[in-house]
Amino acid sequence: MNESTEPIEEGVLPSSRPWYRRELFVFIVGSILVAFALVCISLALYTSSGASLLDLSRPGYQSVQSKLNQSDSFQAFSSDGPVNSDTLTQFSQLFQKQVKPVSNSSDFDSTPLADQALGIDDPTVTVAQ
Amino acid sequence: MKSRLKRVISLALMATLFVTAPAFAQATTTMTDGHIAKIRTNCQAAILTLGQIHANDAPAYINRNQTYFSISDKLMARLNSRLTLNRYDATQLVKTASEYNSELAKFRTAYKTYDDSMSTAANMDCIKEPVSFYDRVSDARDARQAVRDIVDQLTSLINQYQQQVQAFQAQHFSSQAGSDNS
Repeated sequence: MNESTEPIEEGVLPSSRPWYRRELFVFIVGSILVAFALVCISLALYTSSGASLLDLSRPGYQSVQSKLNQSDSFQAFSSDGPVNSDTLTQFSQLFQKQVKPVSNSSDFDSTPLADQALGIDDPTVTVAQ
Repeated sequence: MKSRLKRVISLALMATLFVTAPAFAQATTTMTDGHIAKIRTNCQAAILTLGQIHANDAPAYINRNQTYFSISDKLMARLNSRLTLNRYDATQLVKTASEYNSELAKFRTAYKTYDDSMSTAANMDCIKEPVSFYDRVSDARDARQAVRDIVDQLTSLINQYQQQVQAFQAQHFSSQAGSDNS
């Protein structure tokens, strides 16, 4: 039953641990590390999922934002109801109308990346031609 | 001790050479001095052009991706569902829609590859590494052609679906076109 009765001196901390072992320091560093890890994970997901390809707020893409179809005017076909000749005619007309923007276009043609177009073609080959 | 250290260093060097040599051999292309000089002279302008093409491709991809997805989700899937609910055999249409969906997934993957290769080419130091720059541009061109091929394939599947709908209509409703309206 011998209890320690040593008096604590005023102004002296009871713990003699160094500053980097304090709970507050560990808490702050831990929070920063967790936040950093979460940012890394979210950036990895943003890139790997393909979401970054749909993001035109990235630097260098602001000038082409106006080329984007802002409104979703795509008309849907009803998935229930009877099927008859009129229904299918109606579907075909709707289908033809909706596929028009993607049916005729030279998007992703490799010609703009040709050596001649970029000015990095072999000059000897050009002379020979 | 020294001989062991030398052995470890030489093994590490050999391992590094073994790993990097194939990649290096793959990256280099035989070029004439004139060609390299021309790349060095024009590559800054080429990088600007690449940047413009890359930026213009982004909205084209987004618009196409959205339209392609809507065609599948709001037209093909809904007609297939409607035909199945009405107990029609829509096997061919479902098969085409399925092919279309897998091609759409390929389109997204191919565009990502293309986007990565364009970014790599556009961010290179082409004056220091003209040969590597030329190779990266060549990679980007191939990747772009791959995207174009998939776009053509998607267009072909869209046309195929449309023809199958018309064939289905002709097969099931050609004789009762008038009576359906009643």
